[in-house]
Amino acid sequence: MKTPKKPAKSYRKLFITILQKDIKSEIRQINDIFSIILFGIISIFIFSSAYNTVNLGVRMPIEIFVIQIWLIIFFTLIFIMIKLFVQEKEKGTLYGLTSSPVSNSVLLISKAVFCFILLSFIELILILFSFFISIPSIQSLNLNEFLLYIMIGIILPTLDLSICGTLVSALSMYSKNKSFVLPLLLFPIILPITSPIISLNIKLLEGELISMIVIELLFLLAHAILMFSILIFVSDELLSE
Amino acid sequence: MSNFNTILLECDNISKQFGFFFALNKISFQLDESSILGVIGANGAGKTTLIRILSGLISPTSGKIIIKGKNYKTDDKSIRKIIGTITNKSFLYEELTIYENLKFFSKLYSIYDKSTFKDKIEHYTEKFNLSNWIFEPISNLSNGMKQKVEIIRILIQNPSILLLDEPFSGLDFNTIKLLVKILIDLKEKDKLTIVIATHKIEVVQEISDTILILKKGKISKFAPIKEIDKNKIESYY
Repeated sequence: MKTPKKPAKSYRKLFITILQKDIKSEIRQINDIFSIILFGIISIFIFSSAYNTVNLGVRMPIEIFVIQIWLIIFFTLIFIMIKLFVQEKEKGTLYGLTSSPVSNSVLLISKAVFCFILLSFIELILILFSFFISIPSIQSLNLNEFLLYIMIGIILPTLDLSICGTLVSALSMYSKNKSFVLPLLLFPIILPITSPIISLNIKLLEGELISMIVIELLFLLAHAILMFSILIFVSDELLSE
Repeated sequence: MSNFNTILLECDNISKQFGFFFALNKISFQLDESSILGVIGANGAGKTTLIRILSGLISPTSGKIIIKGKNYKTDDKSIRKIIGTITNKSFLYEELTIYENLKFFSKLYSIYDKSTFKDKIEHYTEKFNLSNWIFEPISNLSNGMKQKVEIIRILIQNPSILLLDEPFSGLDFNTIKLLVKILIDLKEKDKLTIVIATHKIEVVQEISDTILILKKGKISKFAPIKEIDKNKIESYY
């Protein structure tokens, strides 16, 4: 007699199936990612040239560098949020997912992970690019400190933003004026974390000890856990019309 | 309808309210296994709402739906597995190929079996004359071809009931004829129960066993097709 599949195993399989489908679809529409990256690169050029006009030959201060990076990332997030649920809703493909036996929480988690992967990929290109174009005045950052910056300064906030982005994208997809509602809902949700993200990035790039960033770190972690819990608890309400 | 057949679908006092507006108002009917129900009515009569409720896309405000003896409220997931839905908006991903779409949906319904999947796809694509298009993206297909892929998508789920909302919209006469033949085959050979909501009265008359006419969210007429005077159908609108 066949033993019934364990729910956790089948959830994982479904999660991977939806994630794979999203990644494959995105690769086939590579022009969309290209235009987002192009927007980021142009923004970096504008920031750098504006700074260099006044401060010729002077390296960009870390504060301005960090603000430049995160401003672009926040806008990039809005582009990606539209892809998560709004586009699927408009095309009708969302109904294929919501009428299937897949649980809504699995669907939302896979979308959040997809958002995280896509945002991280775009960030990677933009951050590397901005390091060469903007030339920030980072003194002595060894490999370990740089990796710590990537892990805590970039990946953790990106994870938090991806969860927030998925939540807001699902919340706004049934509204009539999506382009207005989407950023309007995102603003109050990410407002509490903007300051800790900027502060965390500046401190890490200045090479400060980890003990100096504990408060920001805990705040970001708590925010990410809270948003994730909300995403799971309201998953059925979020995806029902 | 008949006492000899098994009841597959039972709707008991289904209502759906949007604000103060009743899209459906106390709808009750039963449907036998291996039969076709044609749902017709004027625009805004509640046809799409009924299909969306039956497919689980929206929940009714009140009432009870029993499918294969299971209550939608308590057995949501297992009911979804035995329902195949086609709406006027395609569920297929335009940038993925026929093969990739079908593989994705079979995985979604946890029925993907690597050893048999290829044969299954070959069988259905051959049956629907799509063998040469398996590895083409959906965006390269005509509307008629897309509709055939939609039918394959639900057939590989091996459902007990098909819910079709305006499946003939945007299709030419020959494709409609072909789809009608396919649906009759599905009912007769595969013993499927089919619910079709459409504006095409002539198609409903041709294929339905039972007809449900909706008027402003209420049942105006529910009877076997042979008991209805075909010339008077529009008088129930």
